[in-house]
Amino acid sequence: MDGSGASLPQDIAITIDTPVGYRLQSLRKKAAIQLMGSRLWGRFNPNHWDPVYAAATGLKAPIQTGEMSSAYIAEMCVNHFGAAFFKGARVVCKYVASTYADEIISTHGLVREKTPKGAGFRFIVDVWAENEAGEKKTAGWVEVDVGV
Amino acid sequence: MTPLPATDALKPMSPIQARQTREFIDGLASEARPYWDMVEIGDELSRDLHLSAELVILYADGVEDFNPWYEGWRMNSWHVEGQSPFGQAIVPPLLVSHFVLSVQFDATRPFSIGSIHTFHDSEILEPILVGTTVRITTRAVEKFEKRGRRYVRHAVEVTDVEDNRVYFRETRDILSL
Repeated sequence: MDGSGASLPQDIAITIDTPVGYRLQSLRKKAAIQLMGSRLWGRFNPNHWDPVYAAATGLKAPIQTGEMSSAYIAEMCVNHFGAAFFKGARVVCKYVASTYADEIISTHGLVREKTPKGAGFRFIVDVWAENEAGEKKTAGWVEVDVGV
Repeated sequence: MTPLPATDALKPMSPIQARQTREFIDGLASEARPYWDMVEIGDELSRDLHLSAELVILYADGVEDFNPWYEGWRMNSWHVEGQSPFGQAIVPPLLVSHFVLSVQFDATRPFSIGSIHTFHDSEILEPILVGTTVRITTRAVEKFEKRGRRYVRHAVEVTDVEDNRVYFRETRDILSL
């Protein structure tokens, strides 16, 4: 979510009544080289932040570390699942293509399945991140208990 | 052969900044070895990490996630208890997944430059309160080749150092040069 101090958006919360086929609301982020080169990510792999090193290893530009797109997908899921995403959830992500510096990435989610569990359901949501050309960069799914 | 881009191709730099960057990278490359050669199946490594409020803010800012649930530190008030559905401030759901890297890549040995994280299957079992110290344990479970590329797979567990509660489990793959 965006905006320090804001509350989570209640109107998009996934509940036991949310149907299969529901689309999660996307987030958009830029693969900013200044963030990619943060000491948070270690700075020990120049493929993530140095255009010279990246080019020498065959990349057209530095590539974002995969953890960044997983974090974007997780942020989208917290917006929709709230506290449920922190208890018994599963996140599976495969980095299918590189996210290059300066690309604009959007996250997506589509409820694929909901299986009865306890008093609620275990939701399975296909998730992915893609660039503005619609090229998938990260793809996977999440599983979250709702109302269980 | 395509000429290499300039060091400042993606962000402004003065000559001294560009020189410092090149020197830093040359230093990294001179010590590096392929990750594949540094890991044997069965290798187990473990380290404790204090999830300080400042570390959580560093991570949340790095991914531009401004959810107030993660704020155990704010400018002006500094350390605060914070608020979340679990009481005080909590750690973002995949923060510990990122710091697995600092365990599976043995911090006492040269970093294996050029490795790429390609996959993770993560279980978020319990919320982690800001201020908790966790133990991250990684075990190399498989080395395999796929379409001419070499991968190392690790199994990961993140527990509370005080009561051994399991917060997080993960299987993750690293592509090695």
